[in-house]
Amino acid sequence: MSTVEQMTVSEALPDAPVSILIAALGGEGGGLLTDWVVSAAEREGFIVQSTSIPGLAQRTGATTYFVEIFPMKAADLNGRLPVLTLLPNPGDIDVMVASELLEAGRAVQNGFITPDKTTLIASTHRVYATIEKAAMGDGRTDTKRIIAAAQEMSREAVLFDMSKVALESSSLINSVLLGAMAGSGRLPMQRETLEGVIRDGGIAVENNLHGFAAGFDLASAKTSDTTSSEPRTSHKSIPMTPGALAERIDREYPGPALAMVNEGVSRLIEYQDAKYAGLFLDRLDPIRDHDMAQNGEGTGFEITIEAARALAHWMAYEDVIRVADLKTRPDRLPRIRKDLKAAPDQPVVVVDFLKPGLEEFCSVLPGFLARPLLGWAGRHNKLDSFNVGLHITTSGAFGYGLMRFMASLKSIRRAGHRYASEQALIERWLTAVKGALSLDRETGIEVIACARLVKGYGETHRRGSSNLSRILTELIEPAVESGVLIAAQQIKKARTAALADSSCAELDSTMATLLSN
Amino acid sequence: MERSFKKEVQSLRLGDGETFHGEGILAVTKGLLQSGVSYVGGYQGAPISHLMDVLADAQGILDELGVHLETCANEAGAAAMLGASINYPLRGAVTWKATVGTNVASDALSNLASAGVKGGALIVVGEDYGEGASIIQERSHAFAMKSQIWLLDPRPNLTTIVDMVEQGFQLSEASNTPVMLELRIRACHVRGSFETKDNRRPEFSRRNVLQNPDFDYGKICLPPSTYAQEKHKIDTRLPAALEFIREHQLNEFFDGDKDDIGIIVQGGHYNGVMRALQQLGLADIFGDSQIPIYVLNVTYPLVPDEFVQFCAGKKAVLIVEEGQPDFIEQAAHSYLRKADINTTIVGKDVLPMAGEYVAAVLQEGIAKFIEGTQPAGVDTASVVDTVARISGYKAKAAELLGEPVPPRPPGFCVGCPERPVFSAMKLVEQETGPFHVSADIGCHTFSTLPPFNMGNTVLGYGLGLASSTGVGPNFGNRVVSIMGDGGFWHNGLTSGVANAVFNKDDSVLMIFNNGYTSATGAQHIPSTGTNARNEPTGQDIVSALKGVGVQWIKRVRTYHVSEMRKTLTEAMTTKEGGLKVIIADGECMLAVQRKKKPVDRKAVADGDRVVRSRFGVDEACCTGDHSCVRLSGCPSLTIKSSGDPLKSDPVAHVDEGCVACGLCGENAHAATLCPSFYRADVVQNATAIDRMVERWRRRFIGWMGGSPAATGDVA
Repeated sequence: MSTVEQMTVSEALPDAPVSILIAALGGEGGGLLTDWVVSAAEREGFIVQSTSIPGLAQRTGATTYFVEIFPMKAADLNGRLPVLTLLPNPGDIDVMVASELLEAGRAVQNGFITPDKTTLIASTHRVYATIEKAAMGDGRTDTKRIIAAAQEMSREAVLFDMSKVALESSSLINSVLLGAMAGSGRLPMQRETLEGVIRDGGIAVENNLHGFAAGFDLASAKTSDTTSSEPRTSHKSIPMTPGALAERIDREYPGPALAMVNEGVSRLIEYQDAKYAGLFLDRLDPIRDHDMAQNGEGTGFEITIEAARALAHWMAYEDVIRVADLKTRPDRLPRIRKDLKAAPDQPVVVVDFLKPGLEEFCSVLPGFLARPLLGWAGRHNKLDSFNVGLHITTSGAFGYGLMRFMASLKSIRRAGHRYASEQALIERWLTAVKGALSLDRETGIEVIACARLVKGYGETHRRGSSNLSRILTELIEPAVESGVLIAAQQIKKARTAALADSSCAELDSTMATLLSN
Repeated sequence: MERSFKKEVQSLRLGDGETFHGEGILAVTKGLLQSGVSYVGGYQGAPISHLMDVLADAQGILDELGVHLETCANEAGAAAMLGASINYPLRGAVTWKATVGTNVASDALSNLASAGVKGGALIVVGEDYGEGASIIQERSHAFAMKSQIWLLDPRPNLTTIVDMVEQGFQLSEASNTPVMLELRIRACHVRGSFETKDNRRPEFSRRNVLQNPDFDYGKICLPPSTYAQEKHKIDTRLPAALEFIREHQLNEFFDGDKDDIGIIVQGGHYNGVMRALQQLGLADIFGDSQIPIYVLNVTYPLVPDEFVQFCAGKKAVLIVEEGQPDFIEQAAHSYLRKADINTTIVGKDVLPMAGEYVAAVLQEGIAKFIEGTQPAGVDTASVVDTVARISGYKAKAAELLGEPVPPRPPGFCVGCPERPVFSAMKLVEQETGPFHVSADIGCHTFSTLPPFNMGNTVLGYGLGLASSTGVGPNFGNRVVSIMGDGGFWHNGLTSGVANAVFNKDDSVLMIFNNGYTSATGAQHIPSTGTNARNEPTGQDIVSALKGVGVQWIKRVRTYHVSEMRKTLTEAMTTKEGGLKVIIADGECMLAVQRKKKPVDRKAVADGDRVVRSRFGVDEACCTGDHSCVRLSGCPSLTIKSSGDPLKSDPVAHVDEGCVACGLCGENAHAATLCPSFYRADVVQNATAIDRMVERWRRRFIGWMGGSPAATGDVA
């Protein structure tokens, strides 16, 4: 090689490798994606190094893989070799890959995504962390901030739901990620080489090539679809409500509240009957009046909508009759078959895990029988002592028949003890809501939100009801009665504390602090 | 084993001048074979678990060369194995995890180091420090120093690593001293390439056996030999080692033109330092640094005259030494003082004393060093600006995110058999009141994380029961100790069980019998039933317990939460004194699935009847309280938006990852949770009877007004 040629070669030398950091969840196959990248680089004769910190993280935790590719052949370097590092370097990452949105957020947080250099390729789907899932209410992280931060901190961001794309092409999410990496134009390897590596893997080749192509196309089109495929709350179209009630709603309720009020009415008709739905409207009317009087128009009738939601949800409480009804709905078995991707010729057996006990039994008994029984059990701490664990094959004749029989008890629901006790607490809460609204709008909103404390079954339901009852007795009712304004914040604090743990310890200490002030 | 290396081990056959592509651990194995090793052994643990796996999968190649592989009972056993090299010219290598392994091995190691070796003895230690580590953070360095074992810390590229394996044996033999090769996590998993040599058949091995046992009282660890050995270490072995290191240039010097300063770095951190220098504009990608660098591929013993030679004439030198205490920095001060050299030593004043030296730490430390020393010809301002710009990004990111991203620690896998035991323990606690849990090392240590938050202390592998003996008598409620089957065989049988029986301790022990050392990658142990070569072994836990005198033994399938709850309550409340052992039986789900999946796939393809099951949640029944999650934490039991406008909280949801272990149903019953859970069984290749039953069922349900699918046909 002449001196001139040598000069040309050395001048053309890249001064840095392509650094790729891949964030994944343990056990998800991030190692396979790394292997694909490394193998493709090796095939092109490039100098490549990868490393990882699997360790315990292979057990479902957050983990990273790191690859550096020096896009030259060793033979062309005259014996010089690049020093590739094992440590991802903030400010030095060319391609940041995250197989899940929270992990993209973690990469942003750790400074690996920088606006001068980093192309971010991340799937926007969520795999919730344990602490998000275990919250008693909604503990999910606000992903809007993560997406905004990721977009602002990166040179360019390729964001879309790769899990969905993978599902559509029956491929691994890794193949979509690899396609998106290639499509971003930041990998030094040819598309054909990357596809060749997938092909030689020999597993689900066609599907993975489809996934790769889909990822490639979306990334090369600079797609960034950050609309969540799973909205936090979804709204169906306005359900049909029968004649008289429909007219009443149209006549008496403002436009923005119609959807929710209709939803409530149709839920309660389905739950019990039109009369019960009428009771719902009777209960909602005075709250609507408060809302109208307190600039409801200007706030989109927030109070009416929230109260309608909470009230309808509560009135459709889940008792044994309701559960049996839900478990024997005509659309249930087809839905389960679809979820499991069962072929038409494959029988599906569905076994339900039920454990009814004294409370469930008493719920359908009249109050004069149920009250002494429950009272005795409560005093002797035996409320959960008579539960029987049942495996009911609801897809079979006996199980289905039994459940249908339970569901048919709907006709005598109103005579049962549970009905009476739920209605009593609902009325108490409604009184407090109206009282609070007459004091102050914000306080009213907070009292409405307290309805969410009552949920669940068995012990959870008992705890929720007693927590609400306690907050009403100690905090809200005294204020309403004396007409002394209490801060909405106080109610919110108490409610949050009640949802903080299942031992009521947090509520105890919060109430003590609130009441001592 | 969790991971098979059957394909990769073929690269161990590569010969002179060929190119190896693969992982660090595999390269080390190749280095051992190129060195003519006679025997290998060890105990698994991240990040070197795969070294044992590779060796097991390479049995055929080892047999051809006559190399003996022993999977040792624990690290003490592995270290004791090196005794073969004391009297005979046999090269041997063992491996284990970090200081925790060295701790267990230390009795044998001290004796080995005192007696000294004739054949090369190499210990490959996975240094588990920093991100990805699963143990207490300590340095192997202190061990090497106190026993006079030489410590290698090679530059983390495969060529240097393999080179140091080979040189390590020579150093060991030249100085009659065992040698430790330290590899950090990322170096163990680094994938790169190097040029191979032919494997060397060991001089003596199973294929060419020794004839005459060597007796030499001078090699026995009793006085007066021990006094002589102690002097021999310092008078003979250390100088021999220093001479070898110097002569073979194990440490490396890289020149640079800004030579009024310099950097001394542990070999393992060389690449990180080079990248930081490159980013600061002080080096290029090919390792040409403007600042001279002295790389310590041997971090113990240090070579004083090399330090003096490197530092002489420089105004300041930076020492990059991860972890504490700062042994190298202290030594450097001493060497320079004795040589009357006045170079300023900078180290832990610009770099942190404790914690991992990640890229940002190195970058900032080096920048501070440059800023403080103002070397001639270096644009200090640009260096400082670069670092400020990069750390500014991080600050801005934090501001944009608003609050920290939730952590995602590791946890029990989908369907893990250990999870249900902690569900049961949580339920027992509601009855008996809280109790102290003396936890152990293993997958079960994940119980200390959400959602269980159980386990008050962790004192070491197999020490769950032993660590309960002090606290137990001081509690009203009995203490529950945890032990995995791995820990049980590692030492728990003696240090815990036998001793508790001996002392008549009144306590409860839960042994997790999942069949393998699962946390390290499913290696076989005595109660697996077979060894690493899949030969039956006929050992089991119950016989061992009975053998040491345990009277109260109960076995419960882990997935039977109600049964487990009853049995544990009984153990906690029975009037019977002494040790009460519950064996929680449930094979590692990863292992089960690994075996089951291909079998099921084949059966379905062959037209056999196979039932595929999954759990599910009826969305409409779920009230979004998530009690089920708090009792389980299974990755496939998750949440999703309710799809019901009346419900604001997300509902529970079982995703496609479910392996139908049954815990959801068990918990729903045992804890009286809710009626939302169901199990659905899909019958694949249904028989004529299945189809007939299904037809009848559909007809009946259709008649009752149920599913429209009732009219669908079952072909």
